[in-house]
Amino acid sequence: MMSPIIVVERLYRKFTLGVESITVLEDIDLTIDRGECIVLKGISGSGKTTLLSIMAGLDKPTEGNVIIDSESIAKLPDLHISKFRAKKIGMIFQHFNLLEHLSVWDNVLVPLVPMGIDMDRAREMIESSLALANISHKSDTLASRLSGGEKQRVAIARALVSNPEIILCDEPTANLDLGNSVKFIEILQKLHSLGKTIVVATHDPLFDNLPFESRVIPMANGKIETDI
Amino acid sequence: MRSSPFLYFLLLGIARQKGKHIGVVSISLVVLFLLSSVLFISSSLHHTISSQLESEPDFVVQRIRGGVRVDAPVEWIDKLVDIYGTKSVTPRVYGRYALSPKHEWALVVGVDFTDEQSHKGLEKLIGDTNLKQFLKSDQMIVGQGVARYLKSHFYSDSYSFMTPEGAFKKVDIFKELSDSSSLISNNMMIMPIDLAREVLGVDDESVTDIALSVPNDDEWSSIEDKIESLYYDIRVITKTDVKRIYENLYNYKGGLFLVLFLIAIVTFSLILYQRYAMVYSTERREIGLLRALGWSISDVLRLKFLETLVVVVISFVVGVAMAYIYVFVLGAPLLVDIFLGGDNLSHRIQLLPVVDLSVLSSIFLLYAVPFVASVLIPVWRVAVTDPKEAML
Repeated sequence: MMSPIIVVERLYRKFTLGVESITVLEDIDLTIDRGECIVLKGISGSGKTTLLSIMAGLDKPTEGNVIIDSESIAKLPDLHISKFRAKKIGMIFQHFNLLEHLSVWDNVLVPLVPMGIDMDRAREMIESSLALANISHKSDTLASRLSGGEKQRVAIARALVSNPEIILCDEPTANLDLGNSVKFIEILQKLHSLGKTIVVATHDPLFDNLPFESRVIPMANGKIETDI
Repeated sequence: MRSSPFLYFLLLGIARQKGKHIGVVSISLVVLFLLSSVLFISSSLHHTISSQLESEPDFVVQRIRGGVRVDAPVEWIDKLVDIYGTKSVTPRVYGRYALSPKHEWALVVGVDFTDEQSHKGLEKLIGDTNLKQFLKSDQMIVGQGVARYLKSHFYSDSYSFMTPEGAFKKVDIFKELSDSSSLISNNMMIMPIDLAREVLGVDDESVTDIALSVPNDDEWSSIEDKIESLYYDIRVITKTDVKRIYENLYNYKGGLFLVLFLIAIVTFSLILYQRYAMVYSTERREIGLLRALGWSISDVLRLKFLETLVVVVISFVVGVAMAYIYVFVLGAPLLVDIFLGGDNLSHRIQLLPVVDLSVLSSIFLLYAVPFVASVLIPVWRVAVTDPKEAML
């Protein structure tokens, strides 16, 4: 029996705009088992990116709790949540968010810098994640000179470099053409086969009925509609 | 170099923004160079004055009438000798002599060269002068400022003084005092005491003042009181008072500069602060991204702190080295005139290389603290914001 790696309990996220309070997430309960591949599906403004950010510890819930690998992260102080994120979570963003002035190799190094490992170990980790994301041949190229698909593969390599158990992807194919989107899904499948827990927030129909995904969770107006 | 990912990333960051860093280093160099130069000049003058005043008498006794110094009677000397604890009581004859009707004046210093105690105080200045040769005829030893003035007025070998009686007195120039003592001796004309009396019109029964020494420092205060109680019109000036007068003069000038440079540094820091406060959107995004990728606030601050520290240290070392060369090798052209410009005869002095650690640390603190703060505060403000927000 699979053990849960992400547990979201009675989660609320509200923002205050002047005197008005806007509820972006409302009463979210969700359990994701180790090794699952979950797709959070919904249109823009449905709350999927906010939910993903809270799972990554980039945002804090107004109410409720998020437990990652048996540790409650909702109230963790900065130093702990940063270390936790560096070790446990790999993030892939919609806009790739690469440091454009750095080479591919240097971009993939970024998450390893605060981990206190030596350069030889870092080199090994970078080489292996570049290989996994099929982008080793571009390791010395500046990020600004890459195509959209290549940038996405660098973002994947960077997310994988610290060998995290959880990969969170926010609209990963929004800026890719069909060919690159398919290639991305192939890499995702490879990661799934390696036992990674994957959560994808997307509205791309390509993610409907993928053979390796466990569940598609539709979201609308900050709520989970039905857990399929 | 690649032994630590942090070090590698730090150097990468510095190299990547070299244009920005070169600009900041250049401005810092100007500020640091000027600040260090002023402090070097100030501490060198301070050191020179202290060492030159070391041979000055402990006490100088003068007569005051109506708030003005007048000549003192020679019988005061006996009274001073009688005070227990005093030593080497020496009469002195000196006074200002106007070289030109309006501006330039010299200090005529009469010395009793037959009395060893009397010229002991001037030993440092006159050095290994052949006294036998010097006292043969009416001759004088002149400071550099006086020598320059006289030469520019075609008196290269001698000068004709006009006595108070209206007669001319020709005095030959025996030698010039060295550059190294110029701070004190620039406007001096040292001559035998009788010749000085003639030039200044001081009769045999009077002296300009009386110098004496008190070997036991602990007695200074009580002896000062005893001397002051001798006559109602007596004034005592101690060596400490003289030092203080000189130091105040140069500290005052140094202080003015310091205030100006502090203003410059504050302005520079404000510009930096503003530049970082508006942290370019790319830099803001970069900090947000680092945070999103597992960097803690302290990791981001450490990186930016070390990046800034490298700039600060490079600027400091180069700026101070440039100032050292400018002041102690080149003689601080232009700037030194501002310090010594109060004197009536132009100065040309050799600044002694004095590097005081407290001066160096003051320069470092005055520069580094505002600089680092003006960079780190805005970075910290971005680092503590929600990474998601910073990445937008």
